[in-house]
Amino acid sequence: MAERPRATATGPGRVLIAVYAVFALSATARAGVQIATRFGEAPLPYLLSALAAVVYVLATVGLAGTGPGARRLAWAAVVFELVGVLAVGTLTAADAVAFPADTVWSRFGAGYGYVPLVLPFLGLWWLRRTAPVRAGGVG
Amino acid sequence: MIEPLVVVVLVALAALAVAGAAGTATGRVPGRTERLAVGVVAGLVALQAVIAGVRVLGAAAVSEQSTFLIYLVVSVCVLPITTQFALAEPTRWGGLVIAVGAVATAVAVWRLDGLWAAGVAGG
Repeated sequence: MAERPRATATGPGRVLIAVYAVFALSATARAGVQIATRFGEAPLPYLLSALAAVVYVLATVGLAGTGPGARRLAWAAVVFELVGVLAVGTLTAADAVAFPADTVWSRFGAGYGYVPLVLPFLGLWWLRRTAPVRAGGVG
Repeated sequence: MIEPLVVVVLVALAALAVAGAAGTATGRVPGRTERLAVGVVAGLVALQAVIAGVRVLGAAAVSEQSTFLIYLVVSVCVLPITTQFALAEPTRWGGLVIAVGAVATAVAVWRLDGLWAAGVAGG
């Protein structure tokens, strides 16, 4: 093998996975209740909540898994998460979109202590830090 | 819910979170002591959840019963699962993983208390 990826699921990575798993669980539960009980009130925010839930689940699975497939999944999910929180955060903060209901990413995740804003940066940092070391490089 | 018990549960969860984070900061690998501490705190959370569940399914009215019940289940499950995950790999980071579980559980209990208060005030 030309390169040997270091696992994302050890050491501090486990703290990150725990946080992602908590968000995956709470976002899924929240979106589930919203869609099951009052979907008609605000379809777009509730679908967005569901999308965020899926992204958190995929990021958790990607970070907890091993191998290049899991790493690619984690990268894709975390990048999507970053774009999502920045886009939804900007739109809701500027009041460009009159969202009748909150999502995890509304106002950059203010309702969740801004953890949704910080989390993708930590995720990207961790994925970069544990990135495969190319053979012939330093070390 | 019973307010004094909610306060006890939140204080216990906060103490567990601080202890876990301190363990990571000082390089302590969590073991038997942490497992016992989590057991005590998780027992308090479960007791709280059973009382709240019985009261909600009985006479007490809350505004969003399904949300309340889901939070109730989440509040009981998160701490044991994160602790299992924390102890599965014995490194200093286990303490912080337990802290994450404790904080998440505290948020769930906090939200439960809010829903409960709103239900009592509204009905």
